[in-house]
Order: sequence, then C-alpha cells, then structure tokens
Amino acid sequence: MRGFGELEAVIMQLVWDHGGPVTVRELFDELQRERTIAYTTVMSTMDNLHRKGWLERVKEGKAYRYAATASREEYSARLMREALADGGANTEAVLSHFVATMDGEDSELLRAVVRRLGGQS
Amino acid sequence: MAAALLVFLWSVLVAWRVPAVLRRFTGTGVSARLGIAVWLTAMVCVLASAGIALASLIQAAVAGWSHAAQAICRSVAGDACTSVIYRSALFEAGLGVAAALASCAALVLAWRYGRRLHQAQRQTRAHAEVAHLAGRHQGAGPGTVVLDVPERAVYCVPPGIIVVTAGALSILAPAQLEAVLAHERAHLAGRHHLLVALTRALAAVFPAVPLFACGLGEVERLAEMRADDAAAQRAGRRPLIEALLAMGTGAAVRAVPAPALGAASYAVVARVERLLEPPRRVSRLRCELALGAALVGLPLLSAVVVAFS
Repeated sequence: MRGFGELEAVIMQLVWDHGGPVTVRELFDELQRERTIAYTTVMSTMDNLHRKGWLERVKEGKAYRYAATASREEYSARLMREALADGGANTEAVLSHFVATMDGEDSELLRAVVRRLGGQS
Repeated sequence: MAAALLVFLWSVLVAWRVPAVLRRFTGTGVSARLGIAVWLTAMVCVLASAGIALASLIQAAVAGWSHAAQAICRSVAGDACTSVIYRSALFEAGLGVAAALASCAALVLAWRYGRRLHQAQRQTRAHAEVAHLAGRHQGAGPGTVVLDVPERAVYCVPPGIIVVTAGALSILAPAQLEAVLAHERAHLAGRHHLLVALTRALAAVFPAVPLFACGLGEVERLAEMRADDAAAQRAGRRPLIEALLAMGTGAAVRAVPAPALGAASYAVVARVERLLEPPRRVSRLRCELALGAALVGLPLLSAVVVAFS
C-alpha cells in the first residue's frame, strides 16, 4: 500500500487479535514465526503507533505493555460514518464510491429496473 | 481600464452561459474523458480570464498613479486648470481603490481555496490510514481492504486503497466484485480524486458561479462513467451492470438478460442504461465534434478577447 507502513497494519492486527495488553517481546516472537524481522524494527513501529494515538502503553518493570486505544469495530464504524456521511460526520475526504448513497425511493426505482429486466432480485 | 472590464465580462459570460450548452453534450456521457477535459478547460479559462482582468486593472491603477501625482504637482505649482486635474485625480484614486479591493478579494478567495484543498487532502489521508490499519488485507485482492460492517459500500481512497465492506461482499458474485474493483482501480489510475478535489474546492469557494457549481456534479458524473467504461472493458459489461443493480438495491442480482430499459433520470439507472445501450455512432460523433470544438474554441476565444482588449 503506497505511503503507509505495511508493518504497522500487521502489528495492529496482531494487537487486536491478541486481546489484552501485549509487550514488544511477545509480538516480536509472534512475528518472527512468519518473517525475519529485527526486534528494534518492531519496537520503533509500535512506538510510532503509540505516537500516532493508535496504541496506549503502561510501563511494566523495564518494558511497556501496549494496547489498542480503540477496537477494530470502532474504527470501522468511524470509517462508515465518514464514508456514508451519516451521523453528522463532517469530512471532506475525497472518496469515490462505486454507487452513491441512495435513499429508499431511489433504491425502489432501481429494484423496478431489475424486475423489468427479469433478473432475480 | 476598459480592457480589464472587457476581459472580466468575458469570464462572467463563460461562467454563466457555458454550463447550459456544455451540459447538452456531456449529459449523455458520450466520451466521458473528453467531457471532463472540456469542463476543466472552461473552468481554467474563467479563472485565467478573471486573473488577467485583475492584473490589467492593477496595471492601469499603477500607471494612473504616477499620472495623477504629476497632475497634482502641476496644480500645486499653479500652471494648469485645477478642476480638470482634480477630476482626473479622483478617477485615478477610485481606480486605485478598486484595484486594491479586487486584489484583496482575490487573495481571500485564493487562500480559502488553498485551505479547502489542504483540508480535503488531510482528511482523505487520515481516512486512508484508518482504512489501511483497521481493515483486513485478505479477502478481496491486492490493494483492497475489507471492513467487517453490515453496511454495503465500495469506494477508493487515494493514494491507493479500495475499501470493500462485508455487507457488499455478501451480495456480490466473484465476477461482479471483479467489475467493481476494476471500476475503482480506474478511478485511482485516472487520478479522478484529484479532479474531484480541485473542482469540489472551487465549487465551495464560488457557490454562486454556475460553471463551478454544476461543473462539480458533471465532473463527478463523467468520472463515474469513465470508470464504468474502463471496468466494462476489463471485466465485462454484464457483471458491471449486475454489480450496479446489486449495490443499488442491496440484494444479490444474478443474470440480467438483454436490454429494454425505459427512460430514467436517476444517476445509477442512467449509468446502467448507458451500459446497456451505448449511443449510436452518428450521435456519438456529433457529440465528440461539439466537445472537441469547445475544447479548442474556449481557450482560443479567451486568448482573442485578452489580445484585443
């Protein structure tokens, strides 16, 4: 994905899948099973995610324990609010929808088209 | 002074009179790409003419200033008819004030435009980052993320993420999904988001100017049709039509048979109709000729107006 860290996405998935707070060491061990990666890379990536507000951390002994600040579902819901522009989400993000959001009447109009065409809807 | 006014009137004429004419030829979605080019060209012509008008107003004011100063000196020295000199000094002062006001207005508008664009870019990037981090990267192909939400939506966000919801996946057959993704990839490849962002900010800053206000809608609509054409070519017309109907109605659509659609004005219906019944060769050629003429004619006429005033 151009312009975005691939590892950041992978680490966020792992943190969410993990459930509870997790240390860099634990994630590093998990990551190492599927790829060769340096411990410091994992650490700096998680530090980045913390700085950007995706992860929160609490000090535990010498290391930090990281947890996601919001669930994946919450982020998805936020994206939908922005993309479908409901719930008063005010965004100027430029998104190109395949089909524009329609109200019930327009949708009914299309359904009539499908019926006329004889497709099974 | 007269030159500035003439060029400004020309830009007003284009901004108010051209949209209705252009719409006649781009309304059917024949040669979407040419249509987009013509709308953008008209917008650039209006902005450039207005800019040139402003520049020549400033030039006239600056040139007049030294003239006025000279006249006042002569009147103070007492070797000229004062009433004529005062009248001309008043005129020059008025010109100066007009130029200053117009410059301020132009600066404010340019600043607002820039801020709009910047904001759109920032929020788009933020949206893309959330999609990249929170979406699942498996399930719908490269460059695509899946969101586990019941709503049905497919859209793309620059710089290059296509978002598909689980709700959309559940009603799209594989061939239909392929057509949808081809449509979104065409948007990204054609940098349609850039065109939309530029025209959207223009419409936001000049809501009362018909060319910008309805130009936005036209550019968006034509971009959809352009992407439809690309998707139909890559993934087939049939799956694309089925996908449009499925996503529009929210129910799976299987096997749409041969055409027979009545006239309908709604955008998605119009898109389906256009794919089912491509325009005839003759009307297509006529449209393309008119658009081509506009594409060349508008800048040419603008240049002529500027050169002769």
